[in-house]
Amino acid sequence: MIEVVGLNMTFGGLTQSGGSVEALRDVNLRIEDNEFLTVLGPSGCGKTTLLRAIGGLVTWNSGEIRIDGRAVTGPGPERAMVFQNVALLPWDTVLSNIAFGLELRGMAREDRERKAMELVDLVGLSGFERRMPRELSGGMQQRVGLARALAVEPKVLLMDEPFGALDEQTRRILQEELIRIWERTRTTVVFVTHSMDEAVLLGDRIALFSARPGTVDEVLRVPLPRPRSRDIGSIERSAEFVAIRSRLWERLREMQPDLRRPAPVARIAS
Amino acid sequence: MSSVGSSAIGQRIAASHTTYRVLTFALFAAAWEAYASQARSLLIPRFSETVIGFFTLLTDRHFWEALFISNQSLVLGFSIAVVLGIPLGLAMGRFRAAERAVDVYLNILLVTPMAALIPILLMSLGLTLASRVVLVVLFSIVMIIVNSRAGVRQVDPSLIEMARSFGASERQIWWRVLLPGSLPAVMTGVRIGLGRAVTGMVIVELLMVAVGIGGLILEYRGFFKADLLYGTVVIVVLEALALITLARRLERRVAPWARQSGVMERA
Repeated sequence: MIEVVGLNMTFGGLTQSGGSVEALRDVNLRIEDNEFLTVLGPSGCGKTTLLRAIGGLVTWNSGEIRIDGRAVTGPGPERAMVFQNVALLPWDTVLSNIAFGLELRGMAREDRERKAMELVDLVGLSGFERRMPRELSGGMQQRVGLARALAVEPKVLLMDEPFGALDEQTRRILQEELIRIWERTRTTVVFVTHSMDEAVLLGDRIALFSARPGTVDEVLRVPLPRPRSRDIGSIERSAEFVAIRSRLWERLREMQPDLRRPAPVARIAS
Repeated sequence: MSSVGSSAIGQRIAASHTTYRVLTFALFAAAWEAYASQARSLLIPRFSETVIGFFTLLTDRHFWEALFISNQSLVLGFSIAVVLGIPLGLAMGRFRAAERAVDVYLNILLVTPMAALIPILLMSLGLTLASRVVLVVLFSIVMIIVNSRAGVRQVDPSLIEMARSFGASERQIWWRVLLPGSLPAVMTGVRIGLGRAVTGMVIVELLMVAVGIGGLILEYRGFFKADLLYGTVVIVVLEALALITLARRLERRVAPWARQSGVMERA
């Protein structure tokens, strides 16, 4: 179980006016074991910052993040991340990239490559294990990124807009693959996205973020049945899907900062 | 099928490149020959005389000894520059403290005309191999440091973050991310540094310690042996070209994932 309690984070003194940016304010969130939580919000709302905080890659001002009761102070072996820009080592083969996390943990080459081969099969990259990352398409690269994270058998998978940079068709295929894989492994997942469809399709619950300062606006339960991998098309046409999607859009439109607040231009002019 | 076709085209392009090179060189040689025969100067050999001088030198033991002496300072100085320069540059790229400590001296080396240092070196070290070696080091180490530093800095920060997220230690980050990531730029630095080392080797011999190839050049100039003088210069140029081609090959071989890595080509 992941608990985020009263999390506040401020980036100090980075703006030209010398002021600080409040990235997160009083974020409270609870993610159950084996739950798929999607975090949805407008760009720049701090949802990626929250994910990096859970990953132990950034520090915050106050509040606490606990995983199974233990406070997060840095990266840990029970968590693994999937990055939007994939971040594959360009000098390593697909297989070595997938085995990278295991290698860092000191697993012997033979063992980690055997383990990595299982994941090559799981993510559908058989035959590509000796290729270099630059020889793969964007979608295949992200499959490697997913396999690398799954290889260390994390209790928590942290995914930062992993399909955000992909074209529509590739994204669809990878969403289906992720649903299929997740329904087999049931790892706890925190999945950051700015796509409403993606948030609904993948998540058990959706944490809706508002921007500036970033905070949890609302948590919605997705009433769609599992397994969803059977027939994604009919799920998307179902009344439940359409209802929750329009509810999300309502809230997102209300919180659009450029519609609600006076433009920052006014301040510069004065 | 298509790969066969494209390689045939590749060969044709390569062939036309060679043809061009031969043609321009022939033109250059003819112009040289014409100008020198018309000038009739003791100081300007004809192209054909230079060619003969070139082969005369290749059979001359005296010349090979000079080449050996010069290359002593090149090999020693360049090796020292590589061994010191790469770690120093890498450390400067990653650690603020190293950057602060060394940056001033690096900038001094970058802006100082190296030739101005020669008298100072000779006064402190004398007309020795040591002073020649030190000069070669000073000539070549700057480019090696600057490129190594740039190499570490240009490593994609998201790779470092990714490694950290999987629990990598600083040591593991060095071995698995920073070193391979900076390798292309380091190799570029080594190649540029090699060119500068050859320059340093010849300059110190020309300006102060009249031994080796530089000494030979001065000697031939003194006796108006223009053909041998030109022949010597040609051989030095050929040696430098051969070394740099070798370095370029090595660069491509050790870092095939980096197509273009020219970071700071201001040699």
